Amino acid sequence: MHISEGLLSAPVLIAGAAMAVSGTAIGYRKLNYERIPQVAVLSAAFFIATLVHVPIGPSNVHLILNGLMGLLLGWVAFPAILVGLLLQVVLFQYGGLTSLGVNTVVMALPAVACFYMFRAGVRNEKTAICLFSAFLCGFISVLLGSVLVALALVFTGEAFLAAAKVIVIAHVPIMIIEGIISAACIRFLKKVKPEILEVIYAD
Amino acid sequence: MPIKRKRGGAVHHLNFGVMTILGLLFFSHIPALAHKVYIYAWLEGDTVYTESYFGAKKKVKQGLIHVFDLSGQRLLEGRTNEKGEFSFKPPLLTDLRIVVEAGMGHRGEFVLKAEKSSVHLGLETIQDVTGEGNRISSDPVSTDEMQIRMIVEQALDARLKPVIRELVEIRKEKGPGFIEIIGGIGYILGFMGLILYFKSRDKAGRQ
Repeated sequence: MHISEGLLSAPVLIAGAAMAVSGTAIGYRKLNYERIPQVAVLSAAFFIATLVHVPIGPSNVHLILNGLMGLLLGWVAFPAILVGLLLQVVLFQYGGLTSLGVNTVVMALPAVACFYMFRAGVRNEKTAICLFSAFLCGFISVLLGSVLVALALVFTGEAFLAAAKVIVIAHVPIMIIEGIISAACIRFLKKVKPEILEVIYAD
Repeated sequence: MPIKRKRGGAVHHLNFGVMTILGLLFFSHIPALAHKVYIYAWLEGDTVYTESYFGAKKKVKQGLIHVFDLSGQRLLEGRTNEKGEFSFKPPLLTDLRIVVEAGMGHRGEFVLKAEKSSVHLGLETIQDVTGEGNRISSDPVSTDEMQIRMIVEQALDARLKPVIRELVEIRKEKGPGFIEIIGGIGYILGFMGLILYFKSRDKAGRQ
């Protein structure tokens, strides 16, 4: 899901960078002093998650964890993902510095969207509803991310529907895996410290 | 005050949970990588060989290869086979920029320098293209000498093949290593410290 350098046209890169800056500014303003270590730990998890390669299907897919980040961080997912991606560019040469903005939006925007879509479901007292919401959150965040990649690539000449189809199909295994991971994490948090989610959503 | 303690405890537990995931992810990490496409090119005889791959075991199948000179002029293009390989005879002896497009926003490139590759090229090719060494080419070279030269070239190529292959394997980019991964986490902790510092100064300033 990391778009390489030299593929996207200038308007797409500039629009992506502008959106990433706005999202990061909103996230930074919402960042509480007490939650900074938690954001850093999730950012580190994101940084490493992309190294986990899932050998399913013909394509190369990897964990993204953006759904989980959205669920636990809300708008703060923007700066957390930006930092993770920046380090991936600098240290691993994944993506590129010019496409950093677009890549941040591709992963962080679905995270924020999923935060608003599923926070009510995750707080639900019924475990089944809560876990299903968390699963959907992981699933849909990757789905939205894939659609955004296809959208960014449209301007490079790839036909949107064809590109979107290929990218979405390639990411289906990872959508399911991310869904399961998100549900497992939420279950763990509910068991260990149920009020934690209340603290997160109280902001 | 009790509320404050509750918040701290919750954050602590969340961190513990995430740390566990982080640890699991870290130790389950497989060297095969997903989203960067690598391309490596080398010259054997008069043919340029390329290999495109995502990770140690995952090759780029049917990836589009473009070959440019450094001025950006496209010389040729083709597709990789099932093993991620593509080979071609360069039409010009010049620095080559070889780009692979593996779809879904994956793109990698490699620059093959002419001066490095010319070592393996037959003498005639170098003289023809660069225009240097006219003295030799204008000399009447006997057919025998030419034949001997060709035989030596072929024998050398055959001998050097495994060595070149081994060099190729060594010089290929392997993706992030342990140091880069640990370094990245270190940077994140550093950023955390910086932000904590600035936010705590804000906090102190407000009080």
